[in-house]
Amino acid sequence: MIYLDNAATTRPDGQALSRAAEEAFQHYFNPSARYGGGFLVHRLIEEARSRLLASVASAENYELEFTSGGTEADNHAVFSGARRGNAVTSAGEHSAVYESFVALRGRGVEPRFAPVRRDGSVDPERLLSLVDEKTTFVSVVHVNNETGAINEIGALAQAVKEKNPRCVFHSDGVQAFGKLPGKIPPAVDLYSVSAHKIGGLKGTGALIRRKGLALPPYLFGGGQEGGLRSGTENVLGILAFSYAAERKFGAIQGDHVRVDGIARRTRARLEESGLFAVLSPENGSPYILTVACEGVRGEVLQRMLYDRGVAVGTGSACSSKKPHSRIIEACGYKKSVLDGVLRLSFSPETAEDEAAEAAEILCNTAKELKEKLS
Amino acid sequence: MEKVVIIRYAEIHLKGKNRGYFERVFAMNLERSLKGVRHELHRTSGRWLVAKFPEEQAEDVARRVSKVFGVHSYSLGYETGSTLEEIYEAVRLVAPKSGTFKVETHRGYKQYPLNSMEISAEIGARMLEDNPALTVDVHTPAHTVYVDVRQNGVALVFGSYGAGPGGMPVGTAGEGLLLISGGIDSPVAGYMMAKRGLVVELLHFHSYPYTNEGAKEKVVALSKILSAYTGVVRLTTVSVTHIQEEIHKKCAAELNVTLLRRFMFRIAERIAKARGLSCLVTGESLGQVASQTMEGLTSSNAVVTLPVLRPLIGFDKEEIIERAKKMGTYETSILPYEDCCTVFLPEFPATRPKLERIEREEGALDVEALIAESLATAETVRLD
Repeated sequence: MIYLDNAATTRPDGQALSRAAEEAFQHYFNPSARYGGGFLVHRLIEEARSRLLASVASAENYELEFTSGGTEADNHAVFSGARRGNAVTSAGEHSAVYESFVALRGRGVEPRFAPVRRDGSVDPERLLSLVDEKTTFVSVVHVNNETGAINEIGALAQAVKEKNPRCVFHSDGVQAFGKLPGKIPPAVDLYSVSAHKIGGLKGTGALIRRKGLALPPYLFGGGQEGGLRSGTENVLGILAFSYAAERKFGAIQGDHVRVDGIARRTRARLEESGLFAVLSPENGSPYILTVACEGVRGEVLQRMLYDRGVAVGTGSACSSKKPHSRIIEACGYKKSVLDGVLRLSFSPETAEDEAAEAAEILCNTAKELKEKLS
Repeated sequence: MEKVVIIRYAEIHLKGKNRGYFERVFAMNLERSLKGVRHELHRTSGRWLVAKFPEEQAEDVARRVSKVFGVHSYSLGYETGSTLEEIYEAVRLVAPKSGTFKVETHRGYKQYPLNSMEISAEIGARMLEDNPALTVDVHTPAHTVYVDVRQNGVALVFGSYGAGPGGMPVGTAGEGLLLISGGIDSPVAGYMMAKRGLVVELLHFHSYPYTNEGAKEKVVALSKILSAYTGVVRLTTVSVTHIQEEIHKKCAAELNVTLLRRFMFRIAERIAKARGLSCLVTGESLGQVASQTMEGLTSSNAVVTLPVLRPLIGFDKEEIIERAKKMGTYETSILPYEDCCTVFLPEFPATRPKLERIEREEGALDVEALIAESLATAETVRLD
């Protein structure tokens, strides 16, 4: 199986997983227990927290709170950050942010959605025009999960704060974390990340928070995670996350260059076939390459490809129960293009030759399906 | 005294010399519905009794038998000795806490020293004495306590009747093949034919990769719900993908669905005949969609010789939905799925296709080869 659906989830990092599993098996105590074993597990978690935080931010300025995943981190950010006035986001957000914004309406906060450009990126001017003195919260995705477009969140956060210094700025960094080199820009207050997109386990994520930013708790209970997110810690998930991240960040520059090469060659091959239109921008994240085969349904192509040993995505897996991708629709494409969207997403594990083979299979399969439907 | 489920049967009593056969099949179906629960099943005059089951499973036993066709009504109650003391002891367990009531006694054992009126009066008096919150109302009581005095010093006591599904025991009216799509209608059609005693096998057409595995899973889920009524169900799935592709390529678009349905009927008939099934069953309802017009039905019927039973033919959609809700398939049926008929759905399907034209269009296809190819994709699972 050539696996090109890494933006949906990655295969767990075997080394990280076995190390975490061994520790979690051996040190099974409740991290809140007041005896030696409990303290030991507590320390393992704190070490994991430091490792993860250090990979994208300085511990002087930021804190990290573990969550059950990217969705919970986004929900926590939106519902704890946007509590009055209005809140601004883009039409290109992942559902975890987008649907939370829609739900804000019922909580007395006016959600505002800025349109996106053709490539899925946010138009800073359009976004800023929605920010006013009553805006309390702004959220912009770092890497668009469906097109791979990168938003300059540092500059955006800066501009938002110049207009309204009291605004809290959040970014969903799920598709950027462990993939794009660099630290969280200083004006960003909240940043969501997920474990299973970089070799960790499903069910683990984190919300990174600028120090001093007061957020109300999201889950109430035993007071874990500094009282912000109660519930016994997911020790196995947290440890696996930190070890997987450590390995990813250790090779982040080299991986980026290599995956960029793979993405460019795949893009060129698919474009040259005349069967696919590439929707992802040239300067986006190399990990995501979204294309459209006009006139066929992406889902049908996806199943044919799977049977031929290539797994790809169609839009975001979280929203694939709906007929079209809301995000690609927001980019302004017509129905026949929306129908045929496929998302190829790479990982550092993707080999050069398997990507090339997949591109050939993609072209042949699309050609065959088009002929059948003509 | 022992907890029992009392089962009364529906139409079987009308059967003259065949009654014994109907009763045997009915008993077999009751046994099958209770598979996995320790119990004993006895026949007493005109009733069946389920006894010796673990008391905590009483509700489950009642729920299971309530789905067996042929059951007219059932009651959860007690079997006890027939002295007044013993009867009253059981009555206390089913008696209401307050409100109006009456006692209704049936005395099958005519040698019993009291007649039915006297038994009712005696039991009723004891109830009033024990519980001042009760009052008697023999005309419109809120509760009725039933006492049934049988032969051999045995009495049955129960507090209510549950309605069974009625109908005839499954297996007493032959075997048929139901074309099941995943929508609302076909499970209801299967239910209705099983209710008349037909053993129903299931056939589902898919067009993977145009439809997804979810559609198949949904049909399995629906079949399992249906199997609670019909006993063991066999589900066969067949791919019609290539047939659809060929029709799409070679025939007039507006006849897509009509032509596909003719293939489905042919394939269904071959499977039915190979398995010794004597009819096809569909969920079609006259005029519901373009392919279910009189002309559409005629064009499908034209390619088969087995009778095609369409129990929903005169039903409105709302009536079908109501039945689907009642039998418990509705919630599953409305989950989103792709019907293979919608994949190549033309914008304007023909509603009055002429048989002559259909046959001419079909001439462009190698019908036999396509059917053989389709049949080769058949997979069968048992849903126990």
